Amino acid sequence: MKEELKAIEKALEDLNAISKNELEEVLKSLFTKISNHIDKYIGDFPTFIEPVYLEKNVEIGDDVLLGPNVYIGANVKIGDYVELSNTIIFDGVTLGNNLKLENCIIAPKSHLNFENFKCTSTILSGKADSEKSLTKIPF
Amino acid sequence: MQNNKREEISRIKELESINLSSDEIRDSVVSTKKQVEMQNELLASKVNANLKSHKIKSFDVVGAIGAGKTELIAQIVEKMHSNYRILVICGDITTRVDADRIEVHNAETVQINTGRECALNAYHIHQIIKNKDLQNYDLLFIENVGNLICPSDFILGTDKRIVVVSITEGEWVIEKHPMLFKMSDIAIINKVDLKERLGTNVDKMIEDAKKLNPNIQVLTTSAKTGTNMDKLVSLLEL
Repeated sequence: MKEELKAIEKALEDLNAISKNELEEVLKSLFTKISNHIDKYIGDFPTFIEPVYLEKNVEIGDDVLLGPNVYIGANVKIGDYVELSNTIIFDGVTLGNNLKLENCIIAPKSHLNFENFKCTSTILSGKADSEKSLTKIPF
Repeated sequence: MQNNKREEISRIKELESINLSSDEIRDSVVSTKKQVEMQNELLASKVNANLKSHKIKSFDVVGAIGAGKTELIAQIVEKMHSNYRILVICGDITTRVDADRIEVHNAETVQINTGRECALNAYHIHQIIKNKDLQNYDLLFIENVGNLICPSDFILGTDKRIVVVSITEGEWVIEKHPMLFKMSDIAIINKVDLKERLGTNVDKMIEDAKKLNPNIQVLTTSAKTGTNMDKLVSLLEL
C-alpha cells in the first residue's frame, strides 16, 4: 500500500505531467492492498464499509460514510455528511460539509473549505473556499 | 433552505417520525421520506439484477442481537464452502467480530460498520458489489444489523430474506414484530436445544409466524448442536 501511495504522491508533484493510465493502474493496485484500519479517529460513529485505512489524528464529522477502498492520511479533518468511496486523501487535508467524492485523489494539505460538492474520478488540489478555485484534473 | 429548517429535517430523519415535523415543513419531510424509500427500492432491484446476471443466489439474514444469525451463517458456510464460493457481508454498529467468526469457516467477508444506523440499506450492498468481481462468487449472505424492527424499512435486493429469532427472546417475540415476518421467506426459530430448560412455547411461535405470513417456511434449529442445519440448507434451494 505504501509503495502505491508514494507513487501517487510523487505524481501529484507535477499535475501537468500525470499519466492518467498509469495513475489508474496504481490506484487499482492500491485498492487491492488497502487493509482495514479504523481503530482510532476523532468523531462519533461514522459508517465504514471496509476496507478503510485511517492514519493518525483523523477527525470525522456527523453522518459520514467512508468506504469501500478509502485511504485517509494523517491530520485530516472531514466535515458532516461527507461520503467517500474509492478515494485517496493525503495528509493535512480539510473537507467541508456534504461532499461526495468517488474515485478521487486529494493532494496533500488541500483545503476544500466549501459545502455541497460532488465529484468523480478527479484529482483535487489547492486551498479553496469555493469549488471554482479548486484545481481539478479529471482522469 | 434555512439552517434551522435543515436541522429540523435532519433531526426528524434521525427519529424517523413525520409526526414530529412542524406543519410548515411537513410536506417536504413526507416527500423526502418517499424519495428515500423509492431510491432504496430502485437500488435493491439493481442489486438483485446484478447478482442474478452473475447467477449468484443471495440471502438477507435478519434478527435481533443474540438470535444466532452469525452462528447459523457460519454453520451454513462450513457445510457449503467446498462446493460454493461464498461472500458474506456483515452489518454491525461497530466491530468486526461477526465477520471474523464467519471468515474462519472459509468465506470471504466484508464488514460494514453502520455507526448509528440500525439497519443495512440497499446502497451499502450496491457499493460493495459494484467493487467486486462478481464472477468469483456463487452465494451471497448478508447478515443485517442485529435488530427486529428497522430492517423492515429497507429491502436489500436479495433473493430471499431469512428472519431468525431464538427461543430465549420469549414466545411473544414473533407476534410483537409482525413486519419482518410478513416480509420474509424463511423463519428460523433458533436455540431449540434450550427448550426444556426455558419452557418456551415453540408451537405458539411457529403458529404466530404462519398466521402473519402463510407462505413463510418455518424451521426450528440449534446452530449450537446442529439440529436441522441440513434442512435449513435445503430450504435455501440452491
